[in-house]
This record gives sequence, structure tokens and C-alpha cells, in this order.
Amino acid sequence: MDPIVLYIATLVFFWFVYNIQTWGLNIQFGYTGLLDFAYIVFFAAGAYFTAASVLGAPPIGMSYILGFGWPFVASLLLGAVVAGLMGLLLGLVVLRRLRMDYLAIVTISLGTIAYDVVSNEAQLFNSYTGLLNVPPPYNDVLQLDPGVYLVVYTAATGAVMLAMWFVANRIYNSPFGRALRAIREDVDVAGAYGKHTYVMRMTAMVVGCVFAGIAGALVVGFIGAINPAGWNTSETFLVWCAMLVGGRANNLGSVVGSLLVPVVFIEATRYLPDIPGHPELILAGRNIIIGALLIAVVMFRPAGLLPERKRRFYEIPLRTKPMEATSSVNID
Amino acid sequence: LTVFWLSIGFGVITASVLSLAAVGLALQYGVTNYPNFAYGEFLTLGAYYALLFNSVLHLNIWVSMLGGALLMGATAVVLNVILLRPAEKMGLSRPYLLIVTFGLSLILVNTVLATWGPETQVYVMPFQEAFAIGPVLVTVNQLAIMGLAVTAMIAIHILLTRTKLGKAMRAMSNNRVLALACGINTDRMTTVAWFFSGAMAGLAGVALAIDTSSFSPTFGGQFLFVIFAAMILGGLGSPYGAMLGAVVIGLTIEVSAVFINSALKDDVAFAILVLILLVRPQGLFNLAGRIS
Repeated sequence: MDPIVLYIATLVFFWFVYNIQTWGLNIQFGYTGLLDFAYIVFFAAGAYFTAASVLGAPPIGMSYILGFGWPFVASLLLGAVVAGLMGLLLGLVVLRRLRMDYLAIVTISLGTIAYDVVSNEAQLFNSYTGLLNVPPPYNDVLQLDPGVYLVVYTAATGAVMLAMWFVANRIYNSPFGRALRAIREDVDVAGAYGKHTYVMRMTAMVVGCVFAGIAGALVVGFIGAINPAGWNTSETFLVWCAMLVGGRANNLGSVVGSLLVPVVFIEATRYLPDIPGHPELILAGRNIIIGALLIAVVMFRPAGLLPERKRRFYEIPLRTKPMEATSSVNID
Repeated sequence: LTVFWLSIGFGVITASVLSLAAVGLALQYGVTNYPNFAYGEFLTLGAYYALLFNSVLHLNIWVSMLGGALLMGATAVVLNVILLRPAEKMGLSRPYLLIVTFGLSLILVNTVLATWGPETQVYVMPFQEAFAIGPVLVTVNQLAIMGLAVTAMIAIHILLTRTKLGKAMRAMSNNRVLALACGINTDRMTTVAWFFSGAMAGLAGVALAIDTSSFSPTFGGQFLFVIFAAMILGGLGSPYGAMLGAVVIGLTIEVSAVFINSALKDDVAFAILVLILLVRPQGLFNLAGRIS
């Protein structure tokens, strides 16, 4: 197959996967206002558990848990469930009665810890080398040429993505989604209206994590390997950046954002020539731009490129002139 | 048992480093009322600034440490003036402020990476023989770090309780609007808090680098959660709580290294953090009542 087709199919695949991730983060931060700075950890959880359960018992020289030799779809579900469970555990610790700072602090810590543990505990997921040689899902049945398979797999990912798109939008438009947005605006007011804010925030947290887990599983099926270098913290920034650039709480915006930031920007800078003797400069420069973009969007266009379309409600105009406020004190 | 005593010794040194870092973070958190997620990178930057004095200007390590700390304090003030204060003045809501400091951490760590490269760095300092104090083995440098931490803690205590500046900072930490109404220049106090926070981060960064004998661009960021654990243990934004939290966390992680894979000893701090959040989220000694 034409290499250009393969290249474009690969880009489209990663675009699809970033869409899923961005929607997941959107459910957490966009809809509900949860600051999850360890989003990539849930992606990694999905990827690792899927890979480890697709693979058979560890060969000599490798060590990892599970090794069930399950079919891919079952493994993907396992990965998604594990990612969701991790979100649940995290929520149990920080969502009950603590203010948002704690969630941010704990997720940042979780990012460092997860990386540390997976890298150093060889028994878990084969440390730095990671899991390798995950077979392309179902190609033993399909027997396709690798190029054709790549396109087919991308198409299958697209189908999964459409299902996730449906779920994400369904949540947004449901009464539950409306309650989530109320929680985002003011958690106490939402509570005063009888919404069980703890359960609702927890649900949003878990659903967002499941999105990340599914994205991780899909990537493992595509590239056939996962190791700690594939999910360092800068990946979390990428998803955040994509979500905020596209537009908070706007799923279509997320699609645009994940096309612009992780796909177009990263691909465009991938082929820049290395500066002789300083191979890290391009990488560092790229991350600096991502960080600056994140800050710039937040400061100058917090609603993003495609702002959320907030529903407007018609207000009945007052007939009588409102009474002049006489006893108000201006605090500021 | 010897191993146990040795680990106590290490624990005291880690606690010293941690107390410098945690108090610096708590000072700024208390005054500005939002956490700084780029604080780990402040440590890194402080260590690299000191490297500048140490290996380029060939200064003594302790002079370099002071230079690094002052430079880091100045950097923190600049960051506040060009980035965080405008962000606050623009009326950014809290989550967005946290995202700004989060983005800042990515920028800083990669600036260090681009400037100094990914290599592991060491300071130029004479080799020191460890000697025994009772059952504990220490080097002169480690003793100096302990002395520095104790001095800094006493200095911070005097600053907060005996000077007008410190009292103003405490007033701001308690109630910003009321402090403003009392004629406290809150902008200037915030600048001072950022300076102290940065300078303490610089001291802590260099001390950590001396203690672990080498450092790289990511070493401060990886230490951040330990600092947060110490600060939360003592109560958010409370400098005294942070001191105590540092002692508890420092001793615990070093003693735990006797029992578990020592590459994972810092992760014990995370376990403590989770435990504290579940059992007593306001911290052991919540002086200022900073929980909402």
C-alpha cells in the first residue's frame, strides 16, 4: 500500500484516540470541573492491563502480571474497568469533602508515583522495557496484509470513537449532565437543590477514566507495545491543551483541539532537523510551546476556539421598576 | 539495628531538606491561597542556579547555595509579576489559576532541559569522610544542611511572630480582605511571600542535590509530591504544620527504606498523604483553619 496512505491512516488513528481522551477529560473537567492532572495514568492503566491480558504467560526474561491470553475485546474491557476502578479509588480519597486543590495535588502526586512504581517494580509490567509484541488484534483470523490491516484497525477505532462520541454527548445533554454543569458552576448550590454532588462527581470521574482506559487499550492494539516512556507527564499536558484549545465542555471543540495540538502541531515539529549535539532541544522547545499555549488559552481565551454553547433562558421582564437598593454595601 | 539507626540519620537529613521546601511552599500558599504546582521546578532551578555559581564562577558550595537561593527568589518574584499576578487580576477562577501553575511547571522543566541538557550534574566539592555520632553516620555537609534547616526554621519563626512583615503575611493568610482593610499592602506582601518561597525552594533544591549527590532536570518535580505530603500533613498553608509534617515524612520514608525497595521509598509519602486525606484532611495541626 502507498506509504502516504499508511502515514495518513496512522495520523487519523492518533487523532481518533486523542478525541476519545479529550472527551474523557472533558467529562471530568469540562462538564464537572474536576482537575485531573494525572489523566495519562488512566490511559496507561488501560494500555497495560489490556496488553498484559492479551499476552500469554511471560516468556523468559520478561515478567508481568496477568498473562491470560484473552481475546482483545475482553482485554480492552478489562483495561477500561481497571482504569475506571483507579478513578473510583482516587475519587474515594479526594472527592468526598475536600476542596478542589486536593484533587489536583493528589493527581499530580499519582502521576509521579505511578511512573515510579511501574518503572521500578519489574514484577508488575516489566519495568522500563515494558510490554512488547502484543499481537495485532484478530489478525490471526483476518490474515490481512499489515498495510491493509492498519487501515482496517483505524476504521474499527473510528467506530469505537463514534460510540464514545454518542456516549459523551448523551451525558452532556441528559439531566445528569445538566447537574454536572451545575456542580461545575457551584457545588454548594447544586447540593442545595438536592443533587447528590459526591456521587455525581464520582460518576464523572470514573466515566472520564474509562474513556482514557479505552484509548490506552486501542493504542496498545495499534502499536503492540507500551512502556513508561510512552506515557510521561508531558502527555497529560497534551490532552489538557487539546481540550482547552478546542473549548471546554464542547465535544466538537475537542475534536478540533485534538486535531490541532497533538496531531498537527506535534507532527509538524516531528520532522524538524535536530540541532547538532543537542537532540533534546526540539523536544524541550515543543513542550515549552505546549505549556505556553496552555497558559495563553487559559488567560486570554478560556472558552477555547469553539466555546460551549450555554443554554439561554428567557427571563420575564419586570413590569415595575425594581426598588433602589438602599442598604447595600459595596465590598470591593 | 545498625541499619535502623543509620536510616534515622538519613531521615533527619531528609526531614531538614523537606522542611526547607515545605515551609517555602506553605508560606506562598498561605498568602496567595492557591498552590504552586511549579514549586518542584523551583527546587530544580535553584539547584541549577547554584551550579552556575559553583562550576562556572568556582565559588564554594555554600556561597553558591546562597547565590542560587537569592536568584531563585528573584525568579519567583518575576514569575509572580509577569504571570501569576496578572492572571489573578484578570479574575481567573481558581481551577484556571491551578492550570496556569501546572503549565508553568512544564515550561520551567523544559527550560532547564534546554539550557543545561539532560545530563546528571554534580557540584564541585571536596570529598568528605563520614564520621559517627553515636550510632549515626554523617558527613560535615549533612550536618551543615541540618544546621541550615534549623536556622531557617528559627528565622521563619522570628519573621512570622516578631516582625511587622511576618504579622502582615499571617494576617493576609487569615483574611485577605480584612488585611487590605487594615492598610496592609497586599500586593507587596504577595511579592515578599513569593521571594521567600523561591529562596527557600532554592535552598531546599541545593540541599537536596547535595544530599542525593547528583541532580537532573526532573529531580525537583519528582520530589514535589513529598513536599505536598509534608505540607498537607501539617495543615495546608501553615508554615508550622509544614515543619512538623516534614519531620514526620522525612523520618518515615527513610526508615521505610529498610523494609521496602529503596527506589520506592518516596512513594511511602504518597501512602501517608492518602491516609491523612482519608482520616484527618485538615492536617494534624491546622492552625489557620484553611479548609473550606
